[in-house]
Amino acid sequence: MATEVLTNGDAQAADWPDRYYHVDQILDRPGPRTDPSFMAGDGVKDFLRSQCKILVIGAGGLGCEILANLALSGFKDIHVIDMDTIDISNLNRQFLFRPKDVGKPKAIVAAEFIMNRVPGVKVTPYYGKIQDKDDDYYMQFNLVICGLDSVEARRWINATLVNLVDPENPESLKPLIDGGTEGFKGQARVILPTITSCYECSLDMLNKPTAFPICTIANTPRLPEHCIEWASVLEWPRVFQDKKLDTDDPEHIGWLYKTALARAKEFKIEGVTWSLTQGVVKNIIPAIASTNAIIAASCCNEAFKIATSSAAYLNNYFMLIGTDGVYSYTFEHEKREDCPVCGGEALDISISRDWTVDRLIEMLIEKQDIQIKKPSLSTATKQIYFQAPPQLEELTRPNLEKKVSELVEDGDHITVTASSLPFNLTLRVKYV
Amino acid sequence: MSNTGESQDIDHATSAISPPDNKTRRYDRQLRLWAASGQSALESARILVLSASATSTAVLKNLVLPGIGSFTLLDPADATSADAGNNFFLNGQASVGRPRAVEAVPLLRELNDSVGGEAVVRNVEDVLSEEEGREWVRGFSLVVAHNLRKDTLERLAKMLWEDVSAPPLIVVRSAGFLAEFFIQFHEQCVSEPHTDETPPSLRITRPFPALREWAVGVDYDALDPTDHGHVPFAVILVRAVEDWKAEHGALPSTYAEKQAFKAVLRALKKKPDEENFDEAEAQAWRVWAGDAAPADVRKLFELSPLDPSTASSTQFTSTVPTDSEQQVEITPTTPNAPFHALLRTLARFADAHEGLLPLSGALPDMRTDTASYVRLQELFKDQARAEKEEFAALLREQHPDVASLVSADALDTFVKNAHHVRVLRGRRWGAWEETARGAGLATALQNQPREAATHLVLSAVATLLNDNPDGSTVTLDALKAEVHKLIGENAEVPQELEDAIGEVARAPTADLPNTAAFLGGLIAQEAIKMITKQYVPVNGYCVVDLVDSWTCVIGKDT
Ligand SMILES: [Zn+2]
Repeated sequence: MATEVLTNGDAQAADWPDRYYHVDQILDRPGPRTDPSFMAGDGVKDFLRSQCKILVIGAGGLGCEILANLALSGFKDIHVIDMDTIDISNLNRQFLFRPKDVGKPKAIVAAEFIMNRVPGVKVTPYYGKIQDKDDDYYMQFNLVICGLDSVEARRWINATLVNLVDPENPESLKPLIDGGTEGFKGQARVILPTITSCYECSLDMLNKPTAFPICTIANTPRLPEHCIEWASVLEWPRVFQDKKLDTDDPEHIGWLYKTALARAKEFKIEGVTWSLTQGVVKNIIPAIASTNAIIAASCCNEAFKIATSSAAYLNNYFMLIGTDGVYSYTFEHEKREDCPVCGGEALDISISRDWTVDRLIEMLIEKQDIQIKKPSLSTATKQIYFQAPPQLEELTRPNLEKKVSELVEDGDHITVTASSLPFNLTLRVKYV
Repeated sequence: MSNTGESQDIDHATSAISPPDNKTRRYDRQLRLWAASGQSALESARILVLSASATSTAVLKNLVLPGIGSFTLLDPADATSADAGNNFFLNGQASVGRPRAVEAVPLLRELNDSVGGEAVVRNVEDVLSEEEGREWVRGFSLVVAHNLRKDTLERLAKMLWEDVSAPPLIVVRSAGFLAEFFIQFHEQCVSEPHTDETPPSLRITRPFPALREWAVGVDYDALDPTDHGHVPFAVILVRAVEDWKAEHGALPSTYAEKQAFKAVLRALKKKPDEENFDEAEAQAWRVWAGDAAPADVRKLFELSPLDPSTASSTQFTSTVPTDSEQQVEITPTTPNAPFHALLRTLARFADAHEGLLPLSGALPDMRTDTASYVRLQELFKDQARAEKEEFAALLREQHPDVASLVSADALDTFVKNAHHVRVLRGRRWGAWEETARGAGLATALQNQPREAATHLVLSAVATLLNDNPDGSTVTLDALKAEVHKLIGENAEVPQELEDAIGEVARAPTADLPNTAAFLGGLIAQEAIKMITKQYVPVNGYCVVDLVDSWTCVIGKDT
């Protein structure tokens, strides 16, 4: 017997009596720690179930969980963005997907699944990049939840939501709830753009990715990882020239594996495997259903509390480590006054008068609290160095050899831009 | 495409190498955590879950996905409209009026074809009333119970506690934003804790002959500049220790001596950019840390296995040797016999080697050239192999009956992790309340007010729901009265207790979707740890407050 599935129309019509027996225990009366502004009863239920519009970024490990939790909590108008398609390695945790879905867009499959399972909930998928959407698009939501594995995408949405804030218009402040996991560890946080610490404020908390020095890879390999890096960073471009390495293509991985294995044999290094090859070149982070469930639940719980005011929400960072017992730490991450996104103040850097522009760029790339890939530099009056377009790059290239002190006065500002970032970074230079 | 003669055809180059099979690909992201050994443990696990609540199905979802062997969902109830609203593993209103376990099982099974699952529509009480039923429950690898009626839970917990070979029980309670869980287990022997602790010894202060020989043979002045910058830090340190001992007799121990030792290392540098010497200085702590077994492992040397005959108490106690000089014999029927035999062998080994544990064989990366690194690695591997063989011989000699139960892989894992192995001793569920009732719990409430308050109020609501499962008798006053029965009539009531009481009175029977999902994740993590014997499970009550978003473990001590 087929059951009728409501995917559209009047969301309230699908609400059978007692559907929200559990959630309504919270929404019908305040708790001891509930803010007095809480409007228990029909007012808050109507807002949650008929008015509130929420955006979920990512339909992967966290995203699948987030969508299910939001739907059950009573959010009825959910949008989801994801640019990926389903891979077999997603199936150990992304529970809205089945083997038959491999290759299909995550956002679309996830949205359909939720609408089939939870009647009356409308999930609007977008199969594409968050950068495809403009400010008007983001402006329509009350809340944004992020379940992404990409630092770059998070920085983009964070900066976009901070820039969206118009002090004259309270509606323009969109709470951003961000979750992330790695193995048995994870974190969830609430960002109120311009008010609390933002994603950019905490960049230095990220683990530095393991980078192997090129000379080790080329001359003194010791670990299997060194052999794999040699195959992917040096051998692939040498052998295939312009052909781009596709780390999702098993034939490409196979070639890297074989090449790395041969080098390892030559140097008597043990431990090159297919799995390690894939792990190194794709920078794979271990991921399990249970950790994603904890972090997604925490994110959705905060979204529910913010949307309903039924209880205080997280201020502002929850960190969980499940490797040795259950250890968690809830704390307020402090806003950085010199945060390039929400701080307003320039970032002070002290450098020697001898430093060349090239050296400064190198330092910016290395700096953990900046993490910029291809920075372009200018002052209010001069172009120092531009990565693009090619003509401008060529024109400014001679400056790379020059000393920064020849181009910028002590105490002056340098504006740093990068195509991957939707904001400018202002540096105040001090010579020591 | 390519204009060089070395251009290759990818198809051709990879013809001999095929990608991993579908199962390995599917589980790739978790195999990177617990490897094939953990996966095979999971695949042999049979899990019993009591009640088909939203929380229970959330737990199961996170165990079916990584591929446990099979699960059984036991629940006598038909799905209500409320269940259809908060349980993702029901078919909405179509499930209402049908047994919720039967409705949930296919929706859970479709998450992973390789997992078996069955629904049992029965009352736990009835199952526990028959010897056959009790035997059936004891046959699982792990039992999880969510918001089980208090009387039934007590009966179940007691039954599983009395038999030292019975499975662990995870007791879960939740009401609205508040929750807790407790793992009742006798003994958990963790052979791979994966904790980010001190790395195993490199024998810097107690070098094995081949390592020492290399170190004392280094002639820094005779090395060309490249080789000088490539002496591995382990070799530098061993040599520096030998020289220091020759001059001072003992290892550096005072702050000043340690600084002087580091200065010696710095002085060896011929060029400022010789990173191998920087590494040696950064790793100099290994010299003062020494190479003997860590204190936590040494403590385990004195641990006797559990005595199955002490079942009636709240906590199983170790077997007591009849003669204080003599250790209790480990037989194949001893609880966790293989692990205890390995542990005792480890003690023997340490005894015979002046406190050293067998070498792990793992070598961290160090700034050196390939040839030196590979040479050093081979020295370590050879030595580790020899010591492992000696260890295995000791095991066979000391525990001939148990040695055959220890697989080569298990022995290997144990030796590799010998510096970190852990043994956890659990308690019976409810034992804390019994032993700490009154003053003990009141003190806990003073020391950890919000954590203890949450636990006490969840206990209180379980008592009230025992007779009135619909929550009709749960009021602020009734909860407070129940809590006072636990902490004493005159005990002080902190604000945190008022808050917890208010929160539970607000939503005494609410199984909130987000709380359920949060618990589902936490408990599945713990279940995986218990089953794989990798990572370290919680010992005590893990208390959760999703208003202020924190978790904490309490009730660890008596
Ligand atoms: Zn910021």
